[in-house]
Amino acid sequence: MSVKAFELVPAVERALLMGDKARINIECIECCGKNLYVGTNDCFIYHFLLEEKTTSKEKLTFSVQKQQHKYLGLKKPVSELKAASALNRLIVLCDNTIMLVNMLNLDPVQSGAKIKGVVTFTVNENPVNGDPFSVELGVISVKRRTIQIYMVYEDRVQIVKELATPEQPSAVCLDGYFLCLALTTQYIIVNYSTGASQDLFPFDTEEKKPIVKRIGREEFLLAGPGGLGMFATAAGISQRAPVHWSENVIGAAICFPYVVALDEGFVTVHSMLDQQLKQTLPFRDGHIMQDFEGKVILATMKEVYVLVPLPLERQLLDLLASQRVEEAIVLVEGAQRNIPKEKFLVMYRRILQQAGFIQFGQLQFLEAKDSFSKGQLDARELISLYPLLLPSTSTFTRSHPPLHEFADLNHLTQGDQEKITKCKRFLINYLKEIRSTEVANGYKEDVDTALLKLYAEADHESLLDLLVSENFCLLVDSAPWLEKHKNLFIVCSDILTGKIKDTNLNLECAILYGKLEEHDKALHILVHQLKDFQAAEDYCLWNSEGRDLSYRQRLFHMLLAVYMDPAVANDTLVMAAVDLLNTNAEVFDAVRVLRLVPGNWSIQLLCPFLRGAMRENMHSKRMSQVALGLAKSENAIYKHEKLKYKGLINLSEKKGCQLCHNTFSEPECVCYPNGILVHIHCAAKRNRDSASKQHFTNPSNHT
Amino acid sequence: MKPDVKLVLLGDMNVGKTSLLHRYTERKFTNTISTIGGAFFLKQWGPHNISIWDTAGREQFHGLGSMYCRGADAVILTYDVTNWQSLAELEDRFLAVTDTAKPDCIFAIVGNKADLTDDCALFKEAEGDESPVQTKGSPRLRKQVHTEDAVALYKRILKYKMLEEKDCLPAEKMCFETSAKTGYNVDTLFESLFDMVVPVILKNRNEGFSQTVDLTEYNDGKRTRPGCCV
Repeated sequence: MSVKAFELVPAVERALLMGDKARINIECIECCGKNLYVGTNDCFIYHFLLEEKTTSKEKLTFSVQKQQHKYLGLKKPVSELKAASALNRLIVLCDNTIMLVNMLNLDPVQSGAKIKGVVTFTVNENPVNGDPFSVELGVISVKRRTIQIYMVYEDRVQIVKELATPEQPSAVCLDGYFLCLALTTQYIIVNYSTGASQDLFPFDTEEKKPIVKRIGREEFLLAGPGGLGMFATAAGISQRAPVHWSENVIGAAICFPYVVALDEGFVTVHSMLDQQLKQTLPFRDGHIMQDFEGKVILATMKEVYVLVPLPLERQLLDLLASQRVEEAIVLVEGAQRNIPKEKFLVMYRRILQQAGFIQFGQLQFLEAKDSFSKGQLDARELISLYPLLLPSTSTFTRSHPPLHEFADLNHLTQGDQEKITKCKRFLINYLKEIRSTEVANGYKEDVDTALLKLYAEADHESLLDLLVSENFCLLVDSAPWLEKHKNLFIVCSDILTGKIKDTNLNLECAILYGKLEEHDKALHILVHQLKDFQAAEDYCLWNSEGRDLSYRQRLFHMLLAVYMDPAVANDTLVMAAVDLLNTNAEVFDAVRVLRLVPGNWSIQLLCPFLRGAMRENMHSKRMSQVALGLAKSENAIYKHEKLKYKGLINLSEKKGCQLCHNTFSEPECVCYPNGILVHIHCAAKRNRDSASKQHFTNPSNHT
Repeated sequence: MKPDVKLVLLGDMNVGKTSLLHRYTERKFTNTISTIGGAFFLKQWGPHNISIWDTAGREQFHGLGSMYCRGADAVILTYDVTNWQSLAELEDRFLAVTDTAKPDCIFAIVGNKADLTDDCALFKEAEGDESPVQTKGSPRLRKQVHTEDAVALYKRILKYKMLEEKDCLPAEKMCFETSAKTGYNVDTLFESLFDMVVPVILKNRNEGFSQTVDLTEYNDGKRTRPGCCV
């Protein structure tokens, strides 16, 4: 069950606060950047600077420097603290009164601005009002069944709303216009702008302490019956399954993707992704747990601790090390929205590849294949597990750090022959599937040669298919294997070696020219000396592999020119040219070809080519129409966005339609991007007319 | 991924809600523990993401039901065929919980544990050649709830919702008997519900779209009326 997601690190020790004064306790904490504030029951506020330090052994510690402490002079506990860094203010609740103090020297503001009669308050972290130099507070008033909304400025406060609740509220959270409230018998959500209220679920807050916690846009976490942590949106819907805490949970906080909770003896960590309990940390006498900008801070009566999340990579490695593949994948997928796309993709692929090897090690081949292909595994990582399969010329080295712990197949299977056979069968299927896909690009030789060896060894019926089809098997490596596994397929070996002997020299030559990019000469050898037209065609294909289409087109035109060279014209070459055109119509520039072919060739002869070329041209025309259409619609979307920002449109009976100049009698109208208003029927008519005229004139020119 | 269909399983504790969902999603029967709070499952159905909420039957969590049902497109009311009380609870305790579901929410009534009372339920659907699933040690029990009882309840539900029977899906199509243990009728239950609920949400969605004015298709009211000269 357990994964190490967090570490508890001490931050403020007893000696820095009350020393040995037994009756002095921590009442509340606030953390804002590096500033840590502690409020005590003897009316003091302490200000510390909290700095992360990493020791040589990668152990995280905190260095704490005391900046200030201040007595507020009320002999009452400081019950809540909230920093408003944009205002440089600390909002303090003490003796049922909210006051503002300077964040740095803790002096009360000159104006003496106060809110009296406050039971508890909350800061709106997602206010609708966008003024950055104000803070919106939701306040539970000492007045029975009353909630108030205040705006807090640098040195003044202003009430903006007061609303009555059906029962006495005891806890509150704010997001946008939505107040999430714990009432005596239930939780509700109230839109303070419209007054609309939505019941969530019953909860007896007189029997158990409620928890109301904003966890994101319009979503809250609430303590539910039976120790449940319930999620609820502002619409009153649960979008995630609940997490299961203990009955006596004291506090909860969010550190994505985890929900952490505090009870009498433990900190529990649940994943919001699968609702499972992931970690339990013993923590005695805890009484405060809060998250501040993603940092979770805990306090006992005397000391402060930070719950430090371990890096995602570490957590993933831990999960994989304990073979918990699914959880690791869920965790990394869940982290997608929190890390940059590029970084995510790299991490995601790597996790999938590692997961794939774990599944492979457990002989869960279906799952392994899925992980490998989603993780875009370099197939050579897998091939290299099988001794001698990679060609001797292969330059491949396994990735570092390694993706798995296996030396080779013998190590993985402990020499179990049956398992080895299963693994080989898996590799055959896997390579067969990927050899013609993008994943194999760049190392087709390695893949095909490995496949050939596996086929040969297993007497596989597909061996012949592989050899006679287009393949990248390396001759040097393949021939000995075919010989070694003397079997039916000795024939194949002959096919290969026979081909080599006769044609060896010329072929080498052609390949060399090819490497020098002197395709003209290479093709000349293939066509005139080897008279291997298929090879010439293949040559064009693989030399243009991975290049753009125009490169391939150039090669094919070159080959066509070789065939149609007037100096050596003969019937065989003409037929080869016709075949080439007819079977590769889509590659050629049809216009150029048509200029080139002699007038005496019949249409009949070139019919497949012409059909193919037409189709290709048609296709590219339609594709560009699609692209054009998409671009147009994108443009329209932007125009729509732009219009939305323009704001209000005024329409009155006095205004006339710019097209027909009659007035508007109904509220519906069409607004052109330039702000001109017209009747819907005028716009429709105009649309029809302009469609038939195929052009668009600005309606503003119309008058 | 935002689900576009919401389906909720309701019913007394121990009738087998979690087991039904498990059988459908995991293709096996496992001894589940009493559900705490609720659980959530996503199913891809064609282009749609269907969220299925498995709720806790225990009285303790009853208060959460209304929230889980809010905005539901379909509700599966589950009872145990060997336990009359479990059917009665549906009407007494769970029907009111569905008040928060969508107005056009569809209801299915499902009697689970049919393998304990009916021989036909010893076989998994569509796999008739399979030998009966091992049910040794589970003696035949008396069937306390018959399909007619479920049909009658379905009709009472429509009345409660003030719906006309003729406007709604017929009771025979909405009452199922299943066995999570053998798999009997489980796929049929979920998949026929998916098939029934998807057209409903598509219809709602299309009605939402009709607020768009298509200028190329726009016809003036006057133009569409057949004139005397036509």
